[in-house]
Amino acid sequence: MYISLNWLKDFVSVPGKITPTDIAQRLTAHTAEVEGFVTQADQFNKVVVGRVLEVKKHPNADRLRLVLVDVKSEKLDIVCGAPNVAEGQLVPVALVGAVLPGGLEIKASEIRGEKSNGMICAEDELGLGQNHEGIMVLKDTAKPGDNFAKYLKAEDTVFELDNKSLSNRSDLLSHYGIARELAAIFDLKLNPVDKLLDNKMVFSEDKQNTLNVKIEDKKACLRYLAVKIDNIEIKESPAWLKDRLVAVNQRPINNIVDLTNYVMFELGQPLHAFTADTIDKIVVRLAASGEKIETLDEKERILSNEDLVISDGQNSLAIAGIMGGKNSGVTPSTTSIILESANFNAQFIRKTSQKLGLRSESSTRFEKSLDPLLTEVALKRFLSLLKKVLPKARIASPLTDVNNFQAEMKEIILDLDWLDKKIGQAISENESMANLKKLGFGVEKISERSLKVLIPSWRATKDVTIKEDLAEEILRLHGYDNIVSYLPQETLACPVPNHERLLERRVKSFLALKYSLNEVYNYSFVGEEQLKKLNIDFFKHLRLTNPSSENHAMLRQSLVPNLISNVKVNQARLEPFGFFEIGSVFLNAPGELPREATGLAVLPYQEKRLGIIVVGENQSVFDKLKSIVSGLTNYLFGLAGEPEFLELSDAPGWTTAQESAKINVLGREIGFLGLASKKTAANVNLKRSVAVLEINFSEVLSLVFSFGSEKFQEPARYPAIERDLAFVLDKKILYNEFRKEIARFNSLIERVELFDIYSGENLSDNEKSLAFHLSFRSPDRTLNSEEIDALIKNLLDYLREKFNARLR
Amino acid sequence: MEKFLCPVIRRVIKAKKYMKTKIEKLKEEVLRELSEVKNSEHLKELELRYLSRKGEFSEIMHSLKDLSLELKKDLGLLANSAKVEIQEKFREIRMKFEKDSVKSSVLDVTLPGHKNTYGHLHPLTMVQNELEDLFTSLGFIIGDGPELESDYYNFTALNVDPLHPARDMQDTFYIDLPNNSGQYDLLMRTQTSPVQIRLMKKYGAPLKAIIPGRCFRNEATDARHEHTFYQFEGLMIGENINFANLKSLLELVGKKLFGENTKLRMRPKFFPFVEPGNNGEYTCFLCQGKGCRVCKHSGWLEIVGAGLVHPDVLRAGGIDPEKYSGLAFGFGLSRLVMLKYNITDVRLLNSGDLRFLEQF
Repeated sequence: MYISLNWLKDFVSVPGKITPTDIAQRLTAHTAEVEGFVTQADQFNKVVVGRVLEVKKHPNADRLRLVLVDVKSEKLDIVCGAPNVAEGQLVPVALVGAVLPGGLEIKASEIRGEKSNGMICAEDELGLGQNHEGIMVLKDTAKPGDNFAKYLKAEDTVFELDNKSLSNRSDLLSHYGIARELAAIFDLKLNPVDKLLDNKMVFSEDKQNTLNVKIEDKKACLRYLAVKIDNIEIKESPAWLKDRLVAVNQRPINNIVDLTNYVMFELGQPLHAFTADTIDKIVVRLAASGEKIETLDEKERILSNEDLVISDGQNSLAIAGIMGGKNSGVTPSTTSIILESANFNAQFIRKTSQKLGLRSESSTRFEKSLDPLLTEVALKRFLSLLKKVLPKARIASPLTDVNNFQAEMKEIILDLDWLDKKIGQAISENESMANLKKLGFGVEKISERSLKVLIPSWRATKDVTIKEDLAEEILRLHGYDNIVSYLPQETLACPVPNHERLLERRVKSFLALKYSLNEVYNYSFVGEEQLKKLNIDFFKHLRLTNPSSENHAMLRQSLVPNLISNVKVNQARLEPFGFFEIGSVFLNAPGELPREATGLAVLPYQEKRLGIIVVGENQSVFDKLKSIVSGLTNYLFGLAGEPEFLELSDAPGWTTAQESAKINVLGREIGFLGLASKKTAANVNLKRSVAVLEINFSEVLSLVFSFGSEKFQEPARYPAIERDLAFVLDKKILYNEFRKEIARFNSLIERVELFDIYSGENLSDNEKSLAFHLSFRSPDRTLNSEEIDALIKNLLDYLREKFNARLR
Repeated sequence: MEKFLCPVIRRVIKAKKYMKTKIEKLKEEVLRELSEVKNSEHLKELELRYLSRKGEFSEIMHSLKDLSLELKKDLGLLANSAKVEIQEKFREIRMKFEKDSVKSSVLDVTLPGHKNTYGHLHPLTMVQNELEDLFTSLGFIIGDGPELESDYYNFTALNVDPLHPARDMQDTFYIDLPNNSGQYDLLMRTQTSPVQIRLMKKYGAPLKAIIPGRCFRNEATDARHEHTFYQFEGLMIGENINFANLKSLLELVGKKLFGENTKLRMRPKFFPFVEPGNNGEYTCFLCQGKGCRVCKHSGWLEIVGAGLVHPDVLRAGGIDPEKYSGLAFGFGLSRLVMLKYNITDVRLLNSGDLRFLEQF
């Protein structure tokens, strides 16, 4: 929002020693953020007055001219398209480097082969009006070379306020509101609003001319004021009015429209003028479903039965509070108007403006909840100014005021001890009272440390309702920077540790430092195409109603798809590499956490997972991934944490049952791992071998808890006997099955460790050889080799019988 | 004179003389050989011949053992000092050879060590860890909550009114799973604040917690906008928590993030879940407040949003606002990471690009 300093000075006299910088800083510190300010001289920087010396036809374009312009410091060649350019004219020239109010930057260019060093501007290009018929021709008093701002006598300073920081303060969306803050901050006197009104204003007393206004939906419209004005003549606004609008970036249109805008920027109340000719009554109602209206911006809008319109009983004339209709707008031939000053319900305006994608200066104000009392002031201000702008205009009707609100002041009791406690330091009673009064609050001391505070109407719509709001008012004027900070003083207490987070940290560091894996943060979303290529069923995935793109339309149920996408980004890299991620997945099943206050309904199930992906050549990636798993589980659970890899019955679509396995630790299933199948590789264009695992991190955490810590074991007292045995067996027999049988064959067998797998020469095609280190130990005696030999013989017999295995 | 001595004594003297000569001769021989030694192999040979357990010096020592105590003592001393002298000489020459050999085999000490690769933690993890450590050291707990939230926890309980712009479809991702009344009341959380309510309900007051986590807003992504980002917020509830405390904690955060000399300034700002509400700006760490590109020449960086917890929010968390008050602050962790490492495109954080990840 733009605020003109000259305009502010209408309401508060700002001493010369207070500079624009002071104003910007103090407003930011106490009220709302000022993003910056420009003097108008800056705004028209590099726009100067020039004299047209020569006009020639452009050799290559019929409509263009070659113009030579004298801007005093030099003579410029400019290509100009305006039909009205003529020798001897004084014109505004934007020099190379100028940035016009619309954002256009002027550059040296060549237009159809002819050089052009600048631009001769039309009114609209300078933000001064609607006119784009031709270039603006200046008065004879203009001096070539002068800054254009000087010619305009525009010496204002314009502040730009951050709209977001005004979002809860409808009273600040006006010059008067900002002036009120300024007066409070700098301790200046604020002119009362009554002084702006013509005290000799007379409404018509002819009851016959009373406008017929009906509000159908009382909730949607708290107040509607209307008056009819005759003897209207639509013409250009006087310079003072135009200057003000130009200063706040509003393009002047005509005297009536400009005046409604003027009052809105001044007081914050949007007004609307209808051409009165055909209107004999006004009905504020909800639109019929599918009702159409052409708005002033010449677009047809289709409305629903939630949208509020102003109608003449039959046709809608305007979308209430947002934009007028083309059919009832002010035109050059308008001679009589109906002026509307209304208060519409913020929620209605917001919803409709949102739905239609139509925002206006008016809707931005209404949707922040305006003060119903402001309607009357604004209407009277319009009439007072109209007298100045168009003295012959005549108030032709009594004032119609239909209202549905209570004009009583709300009060809050403020306990000053509570205030001091809340702030953390004492603010004197005098200061507290003064700060509130400066902002327009009524303050009355009702007991030793207690105030009764009356909320002014312009703050009571939404913004100030509780004592905490008053604390903010007092505090912000006192200045946040003037509060002496100190850390909370409290009783020591031991915080509850977040075990999951601690485990997460350990696991992350271990994987990165030990296995050179890089941590990734992937999106929580996946897309249909992505899952199709991975042969994953997406039927049950949760979906967004409003995804930002098709690739991010569903919630991930696994970390794997996005990890595979990570490979694609990096697969040009020659060396092997790998990633891990710890993140949440979302399932379409009831979870545990409550969904609302009552706690009956629950959120969908969400689980934290660990995903690891390893990229390299051939099946070795699968082995590498397995060694990472055992490294990790040994790290977390010690020797007892040796993982088991078991056959997986329900392998996900991107791998196959033959190339995947579930992972068991300490007898619990924690996840699975798999090789990306050939089909997957072809579908997503993987150029390298890829192995992926996914582990339920919450499951690991609960295992860590139930496992506790490993206990020290006395080193063995008696020596072990070691034997290496290589078996030949059918390829289909799984290692884990075979090993398990050996391990549990006899209690003297302490360790069974695979050290070689072989198939090929000397073995038949369906055979493989597994070679093991076996170690035998007794806790209470030294074993001799004869008994071990006998034991091995029995073992061989057993394995022959069970697996048809033989020694190699 | 000798001839006057008794034969026994004469024999003794003779033996002594003999042995003495023998020792001296051996010593001379060794020293001569040593003066001609050419290389370390030759030296080792000599060492073996003279000084080893079966070497010539040992033999002499051995032969002394049958002599009288007195002779043994005299000759022993003599032999020993000769041996020491020779050992010293050996050592000297050995060292010379070693030195020479070092000189001749050229070791390029400037060669690099073996390259060991290691993996990298994500920069978000690193900065988050740093902050978690600060606050846990102050006794804060680390709070977690679901990323898929309900409208109630994400908005209603936080005093965000039903028509607040944040609730629009264009700002929030809603889940296509209507509740029993047909409303879309599930969403991807737009802030970490719903966890405040969950923590209040779980732990009650007093409470000190930080909440780091992933948040979502329905935005078109470009270099400066991401629909997935990280926030970090803090909450403290107690009987005497006040605005001066809030200010102090914000100062602490600034110093931790940007260095000891960082200054804070607070501005009024509206957030529905706090009252009073404010933002916090810190002196720009890059230019120390002088003004630069990063701080848009203001010297200040707006980092944190904060305030005293709104009584309605305390109530939603089951805490009596007349007895307790709370402070809360939050900032964009993703933005902080970008500032800290001078990352200019936010999308890199979720890119999985090794050329990015390996730099941390």
